[in-house]
Amino acid sequence: MGSMTHRNTLGRGRFGLRALGAAAVAGTLLATACSTPEGGGGGGGGEGDAEGPFTIGVSNGFIGSEWREQMLSALETAFEEYEAEGVVDELVVESADVDINGQIQQIRNLIRSDVDAIIVNPNSPTALDQVFAEAADQGIQIVAIDQAVESEDVVNVVIDQSEWASISAQWLADEVGEGGQIIAVNGIDGHPANEDRWSGASEVFDAAGVEVVANDYAEWDQNQGQTVTRDLLASNPDVDGVFVQDGMALGAFRALEAEGALEDVALVGEARVGYMREWDAQREEGDFSSIGVPNPPSVSVSALHVVVRMLQGQEFAADALDGNNAWLPIPETVTDDNFDDQFAQVEDENDAYAVDHALTSEEADAYFE
Amino acid sequence: MNLLRSPGTADLPSPVRSVLSVRMPTVAVGLLLLVTVVASAVLQPGFFSPYGLSASFATFLPLATIAAAQTIIVLGGGIDLSIGTVVTLSSAVSVVLMQGDDGRLPLALAAGLATGAACGLFNGLVVAVLRLQPIVATFATSSVFGGLALLVLPTPGGQAAPVLTGTYRMVLLLYVPIPAILLLALFLGWRLLRGTRFGQHLYAVGGNADAAYTSAVPVSAVRVLSYTLGGLVAALAGVALLADAGAGDPTLGTQLTLGSIAALVIGGTRLRGGSGGVGGALVGAVVLSLIQGLVFFAGVPTNAREFVYGCIIIAAIALAGLLTNRNGSAAGTTGGNR
Repeated sequence: MGSMTHRNTLGRGRFGLRALGAAAVAGTLLATACSTPEGGGGGGGGEGDAEGPFTIGVSNGFIGSEWREQMLSALETAFEEYEAEGVVDELVVESADVDINGQIQQIRNLIRSDVDAIIVNPNSPTALDQVFAEAADQGIQIVAIDQAVESEDVVNVVIDQSEWASISAQWLADEVGEGGQIIAVNGIDGHPANEDRWSGASEVFDAAGVEVVANDYAEWDQNQGQTVTRDLLASNPDVDGVFVQDGMALGAFRALEAEGALEDVALVGEARVGYMREWDAQREEGDFSSIGVPNPPSVSVSALHVVVRMLQGQEFAADALDGNNAWLPIPETVTDDNFDDQFAQVEDENDAYAVDHALTSEEADAYFE
Repeated sequence: MNLLRSPGTADLPSPVRSVLSVRMPTVAVGLLLLVTVVASAVLQPGFFSPYGLSASFATFLPLATIAAAQTIIVLGGGIDLSIGTVVTLSSAVSVVLMQGDDGRLPLALAAGLATGAACGLFNGLVVAVLRLQPIVATFATSSVFGGLALLVLPTPGGQAAPVLTGTYRMVLLLYVPIPAILLLALFLGWRLLRGTRFGQHLYAVGGNADAAYTSAVPVSAVRVLSYTLGGLVAALAGVALLADAGAGDPTLGTQLTLGSIAALVIGGTRLRGGSGGVGGALVGAVVLSLIQGLVFFAGVPTNAREFVYGCIIIAAIALAGLLTNRNGSAAGTTGGNR
């Protein structure tokens, strides 16, 4: 025991010395040379690389949603067309359920794979700033889709989420009238797209004198949407309407159906095939009205059109950018009036398919000089 | 100060035994490190370039730091499922106070570290004083801390101080990234801690709390302190994440909990406590990150990556476990009968 105590003391001393030594070395190194690696690292691209063919990287931080699957498969199809023209040569896809730290790693992997551009569906509007700066330092063009980011190194190719939500909110406000009471089923508390949408919808409700009696979150999941709607209905049985974001409207529909409340309670729907089938069936039975505002997964294709033009050295037109946002038009809303037309186009798709839209090449050209 | 696993070895202090018991897993994780580094050098373009090294270590450090935090808790016989949200909450507090201003950095860092330590203290009190099962108690507190983070930082935002993000990306003498030096500092800090009386008590309590109690080790105090220290180190991981990300987000770090546990198991720390060490966990975290990159650079198809990654992690854990168990039985023959 005595010898052990001695050994421990010795050990402590030794490591203490080592730590001191390391600190001294670190100090010396700091004094002699320090730098931030940029440019000449492993990355490729660069401004002069306007010839192509280009390698495009994709970073997607959330899987298991049909919307994201559709986003990726549409992109792959559009990529093949550019590939056939010899404009691009390789699509490097990083797609997994990751947190922000994991997505930072995804993007670093893409940088080291020598991609010329990155299309990213970001998990955070702010916390990828540094890694975007790393990519931009190496001359990589970055486009964010679905979720806008604040980094000035990135061009957001997105729809205006606030405007998107205000369209269905306006419809609901008209349905329930001034003084009407509604419940809201939103996505994820604190998620930026959720906050943007809810602020857009809330403004409409405030202006129209509609009272939101309860608001809860169902993580853009149909099953949770059903549970949350049922619980909110149980505690607020007298409401006139339900505001629900996409990905959860079918669940909300089932909850209303189970309560026998479809006739009395107005429901915001979604432009997805599963919901549209129910909508179609209800139309045949009689008095059912709904609305579905598409949130197109093929925003990835629109982004590809834009990023290819950026790589070719084209400059954005003077009015194309609002800050660092290149706003996409919100596709035509599915309403009671145009339902038959819209449904006929997507009837053969599976239930999770979202009504889609992408910029054409010509429309993308309009964003540039 | 004899902290023993069985009365039969009353004259063999446990630090000796813990030194012996970490040796074999250290060999295992060292082997894994060698294999993954060689594979990375072969498969990843520019792995040893200045940018490659800087990007790699910037990615390693947050996971390695949280793995170190979890190891301190696990060594003392606990486990912390809330550790990811401790990272989230402390980084949220830091970034809200920081507001992208270098002058406010010291205050913001101090507040972040204090937050982490306070979360750890709270966990420790719940586990050691209220005597709730750690796995359930910390699962519950993870909601508390995650919820608090949302209150502190309701939406993503808040810039990290430029000096913090700038320093984090710096490279000394072209090839030594700052995060690599911080990783070394973390290890040295652990070696200092391990030499202290608390370090010895930690192994004793985790190895056999009853025996430690009869040897007059303040078991509850050691547990509380291990959670508090774990929380403090987790807050350091929050700072590293903030420096790497450049801005705050109320989900920053939440998913690191399971990674921290996988890293320490690969590093040869026993989940029951009392055996292992932070050194192995740090290497385990590096190995874990490298494997993630390797699956990508090896050209595994996108949809199969998660599956392949999972299989490799299982193999790595099995390797670490195999060697640890062998060592455990060897220790059994020399006297310990656990």
